Amino acid sequence: MSETSSDGARRLAEDARDRVNFEEEALALADQVYRVARGVSRSKEEAEDLMQETYARAFRSWQSYTPGTNLRAWLLRILTNLNIDRGRRAQRTPDQQPLEEGDYFLYNRIEETTGETEADRVLERLSQDHVAEALSAVPHDFRDVVVLVDIGEFSYADAAQILDIPIGTVMSRLHRGRRILKKELAGVAVETQ
Amino acid sequence: MTDDELCDWCEEVLQPFVDRDLTDEERQQAEGHLKKCKYCRKRYHFEEGLRLLMRQAEPMEPALKKRLSELRLEL
Repeated sequence: MSETSSDGARRLAEDARDRVNFEEEALALADQVYRVARGVSRSKEEAEDLMQETYARAFRSWQSYTPGTNLRAWLLRILTNLNIDRGRRAQRTPDQQPLEEGDYFLYNRIEETTGETEADRVLERLSQDHVAEALSAVPHDFRDVVVLVDIGEFSYADAAQILDIPIGTVMSRLHRGRRILKKELAGVAVETQ
Repeated sequence: MTDDELCDWCEEVLQPFVDRDLTDEERQQAEGHLKKCKYCRKRYHFEEGLRLLMRQAEPMEPALKKRLSELRLEL
């Protein structure tokens, strides 16, 4: 074998090894990526489709990932872009209604309605299903930020990078998104008492 | 600040408190008030529980994990 062709073979072997490492690291993050997918999707089926599209695209474009950078944020960037491309975001117009309630509103509302006066008991009135239902009613721009920060546990800076928006916008959408979520949660939790 | 004003202020800084985005001084002031005020303490405790509840989303089905693994490119 000439030196050139053995160099080529070595490069191919290195590439294959890097790719396998990338795939394994990406799959190891799938549970965390799924939590965000589920948060931004209306149903479990939609979240599963979004996961498959995200991973198919990630595996095809693995060479555009820079090793040593935040792989979870890279995967979530693909996922949120796919979610935009699929036009799922067109269904709701951003909520422009003023939200007068403060941050104690949800607690106060549940306490008032149920008569529970201990924080743990008030919390027990809420379930995963309530959270999923309330999240799906939050307009997408706000929901994406709330899901990335509160469920995905991303920093404001990472969320800004993933969604390609300024950090100030992340903070204002987060503030408003959480208020909308609480208003929706109060609605779903109190309705089902 | 009066006690009522402190309750209002604590409500305003609830989110940055849970996000750990307050200055040390603000954090100490909030914690000082929470020690004395059961009303705010319950609401802070609830907020932290709500955040945990949001993070405990239903896990991925094993079948999906398998499908994702099958999307890997052929060597």
